[in-house]
Amino acid sequence: MHRGALRSFGLPAPDALIGIGVALALAAVPLAGPGTYLLGFLFTIFMYGALAGSWNIIGGYAGYLSFGHAAFFGLGAYTTALLLFYFGWSPFLTLPIAGVLAALFAALVGYPCLRLRGPYFSLVTLILGLAMYSLTLNMPFTQGSSGLFLPFLRVDIYTSHVIFYEVMLGLLIIVTAVLRQITRTKMGVGLTAIREDEDAAGTLGVDATRLKLQAFMLSAFLTGLIGGVYSYYKSYLDPSFVFATSISITIVLMALFGGRLAWYGPLVGAVVISIVNEMLTTHAPPQTARIVFGVLLIGVIMFLPDGLMSIAQRHLPTLALRRARHPATRDEVA
Amino acid sequence: MTHHTSRRQMLWAMLGAWIVALAVGACGQAPAAPAAPTTAPAAPTTAPAAPTTAPAAPQGAPIKIGCSLPLTGAFADTGVWVQRGYEQWAEDVNAAGGLLGRPVELTIYDDESKTENAVNLLNRVISVDQADLLCGGYPGTAAAAQMAVAEKNQKVYVSMGGHMASFSQGFTYVFGAPPLMGQWWYEGLYGWLASLPAADRPKKAAIFTINNPVGAAILEPMPEKLSALGIEIVVNERYDVPLTDAAPLVTKAKGAEADIFFANGFFPDSVQIVKAMRALDYNPKLIAQGVGSIIPAWVQELGADGYYVFSGTAVHPSLPFEGISRLNEVARAKYNAPVAPIYFIFGYAWMQALQRGVEGAQTLDQTAIRDWLKANQITTVAGTFTFDERGLPPPYNYLTQVIDGKVELIWPPDVRTKEPIYPKPAWGQ
Amino acid sequence: MLYELAQSLTGGLLIGGALAVLSVGFSMAWGITHVLNVAHCAFAVLAAYLGYWALNRWGIDPLLALPVMLPTFFLLGVAMHTLLIRATARRAHDPGLATMVLTFGLGIVIENGMLLAWTPDPRVLKTAYSALTLQVGPVIVQAPHLIAFGLAVITIGALYLFTERTFMGKAVRAVWQQPMGAALSGIDLDRVTTIAYGMAVATAAVGGVAMSLLYTFDPATHLSWLVYVFLVVILGGVGSILGSALAGLIIGLIIGISSVFIPLAWNNLVLFGLLIVLLLLRPQGLLQR
Repeated sequence: MHRGALRSFGLPAPDALIGIGVALALAAVPLAGPGTYLLGFLFTIFMYGALAGSWNIIGGYAGYLSFGHAAFFGLGAYTTALLLFYFGWSPFLTLPIAGVLAALFAALVGYPCLRLRGPYFSLVTLILGLAMYSLTLNMPFTQGSSGLFLPFLRVDIYTSHVIFYEVMLGLLIIVTAVLRQITRTKMGVGLTAIREDEDAAGTLGVDATRLKLQAFMLSAFLTGLIGGVYSYYKSYLDPSFVFATSISITIVLMALFGGRLAWYGPLVGAVVISIVNEMLTTHAPPQTARIVFGVLLIGVIMFLPDGLMSIAQRHLPTLALRRARHPATRDEVA
Repeated sequence: MTHHTSRRQMLWAMLGAWIVALAVGACGQAPAAPAAPTTAPAAPTTAPAAPTTAPAAPQGAPIKIGCSLPLTGAFADTGVWVQRGYEQWAEDVNAAGGLLGRPVELTIYDDESKTENAVNLLNRVISVDQADLLCGGYPGTAAAAQMAVAEKNQKVYVSMGGHMASFSQGFTYVFGAPPLMGQWWYEGLYGWLASLPAADRPKKAAIFTINNPVGAAILEPMPEKLSALGIEIVVNERYDVPLTDAAPLVTKAKGAEADIFFANGFFPDSVQIVKAMRALDYNPKLIAQGVGSIIPAWVQELGADGYYVFSGTAVHPSLPFEGISRLNEVARAKYNAPVAPIYFIFGYAWMQALQRGVEGAQTLDQTAIRDWLKANQITTVAGTFTFDERGLPPPYNYLTQVIDGKVELIWPPDVRTKEPIYPKPAWGQ
Repeated sequence: MLYELAQSLTGGLLIGGALAVLSVGFSMAWGITHVLNVAHCAFAVLAAYLGYWALNRWGIDPLLALPVMLPTFFLLGVAMHTLLIRATARRAHDPGLATMVLTFGLGIVIENGMLLAWTPDPRVLKTAYSALTLQVGPVIVQAPHLIAFGLAVITIGALYLFTERTFMGKAVRAVWQQPMGAALSGIDLDRVTTIAYGMAVATAAVGGVAMSLLYTFDPATHLSWLVYVFLVVILGGVGSILGSALAGLIIGLIIGISSVFIPLAWNNLVLFGLLIVLLLLRPQGLLQR
């Protein structure tokens, strides 16, 4: 096992080395003086990569597909935004509060909701997302229906882009590292067990309830952090931006498209979908661009139904997450 | 695995495509803008020409103007008309000798009705395309977000604005020329009602407002304005969309004996409300509607049920301003529209305002353009404007009413095209 | 108050019927074929457009166009299932997820196809009976609402009878309840699921026409209709035909009642809250397998 051999030399595993290398390269990008557009575009990619990654903890690993993750995103966004708006506190400082609040909310709703299985969990989280949108719209102190304007960062436009770029890159690195780390711990094994067969996992001594809740809270915490940065970046907040169901769906789509069983799967999904979208928007007439995107989605998923990562998993087994190989336990039909 | 090899080939082909896409995307700094996804339409033979004097053809490097609009998604029906307005302006300017003697080149991206994209695309326009000038986005939420971007980059941004909140942030580079200002929506209505003898005015108002920034803006000044007119508010509620059932709104208004009904919403919900009013035989003296009753689809789809509805607008195809009648002919010739649609005129007017600023300051320097616009009066197809330090003209809005299938101007009296029909005739008459 | 309540309840019930018939196909597809067809409402909007054009171009009422649309949409569903879904599901570690991405892409294609063909202008169906009303006591019933409800009753009733009385229908039900057992009994799973899927898409057409009687639509409307579908399916239970019917009615009733007693702005919140509570108390939906 060459992985073990490498480790005996004190080096991290090859996939981690690649990851660190890429992270350093990305962090150094602003030194090359790219335009604000590229920084902004990469910011969006990092954000979706981090969102899809955080989602993956509960959605991909545990198999509890949340269709309402925008609720945590929006909660984090509004937390830092309102603290800035009413008290003038910098979102970079109040970021942890955003994450904690999102995690607490996840604990509150997770306890009852995680008792639901499969599609019902998905649907209840979808409704949760919608409910948060409606709530924010109607609460007076959120300036919900009139929109919230936030003060700009007190630096020039380019520097502010660089700052947000690095911060979001940092969050992406944290999320990806967490994802990868989970696969190497008991938590990862436990989540896999829950995903493949929750009842059997219970008999094997996995405290499914506690583990699910932990995963849900962790996922929400990270998502809340990302939201907290986002509102400051946008400078204008409206509930329809951050609680939109389309965000929740996009996150799920990216994670599934990239491959939810690999720690880099959601990230790859986010990168590919963002870039393809961008290419199409700028080079094709509007409706045609969307149609081509839809066709590409269909095409890829037909040949790689487990996501893009199944290419890697077939040819590079060291990068694969261990997964159950007993289809007989599943009750699938079509 | 009968199709193993062909599937593999397809797999590799796709992988190759992704790699190419990634490589191209990584070179995103390339300043050469791709071919504009929208090209200015060829001038049809029947469209009337621009000004009679034969100007010299524009020369030199083109002036690049860029922005994003919702060309697909929820707001596409309006976005497409604004785009056409922009394109018409570009065509006319180039036919008349260009801007500062140079041709203008428009690049309008599709933001899919998503604000996220609107912000990113405006950033792209500014830093990748290196556009000289910006055009405005739609709707108000996208415009508000883009206003922040434009301000950060210190670029002049002429648009519909994002209602009063967006103009109260101390931004200096933004202009509403004219704005779609929710707070001013019923200025024309208030003016006309004030001109009626107090005994003729409605007494009780039922207000239903859509729960979003536009609705909030429209609703904001209403309590004060209505009480000044002696109208009592008996119902005042907000509703979420989608509106599943409009009947409860109507029964509430009917139960409270409201004789003026405000449907401060958009097209889908307002259509439902009107249909419910007819079904429940509720006949207020006056129905005022927010956004949606002045687009062609209102009369086209609703027919006579949509008649007599009042609304507000900042531009109109029957206004006596220079260039409007020509726009009407162009709309007829090119797009088969009976008159120039409202958002077509808006698009044209916003670009004209920008044009005045550039021509007035005789430079593309954004600060100079901004300062010139705030110090001088301009005239466009939307009228004559001066701007305050927020970038707004003095508050105004025209009152419209749908009469006999056409959107007529009612107030102020100097632009009136038809006498208003008040009180509203009963349904089916 | 009593009048308002009666009026709202009646309206709510009738609308609930339309929601039910819109959602029943989605529920069937999910429950029986394990496909989350997020393009379901895109098909419905497509049917709405076809009905609209039938009326505006050729003067044919959408209801009369339905008999032509039904087999067309059925075949469309069968083709979709055979060509796209089956292949994907077989290869996938998780067929439900993969097919969801697939139908998501399909939804985008359909929406933008309609956008290209018919522009984003909103449409309102104006039939001969659009403005007709019936007076039942103090309550006024709008003809389009009644007809939409009628469509729902006929369609869901037919579906129910199909699963109860016909062999194919019983096979469908067997596959829904106990796929392994059904296969062991010699039922051709592939054929049954394909037929079930085709029927699901066909009912989407009925749902689309029913909704078009009540609401305006444009290519992007399918997303807001999808929210209703999710709500109905959660409440009714995935795969249950009667469950969808019941859930649709209940949701309509909830909307009707809440608009009388609470501020309208909180309507949706109340609906969501109630559904969440219901789901937590009875996770499998109203009618279990």
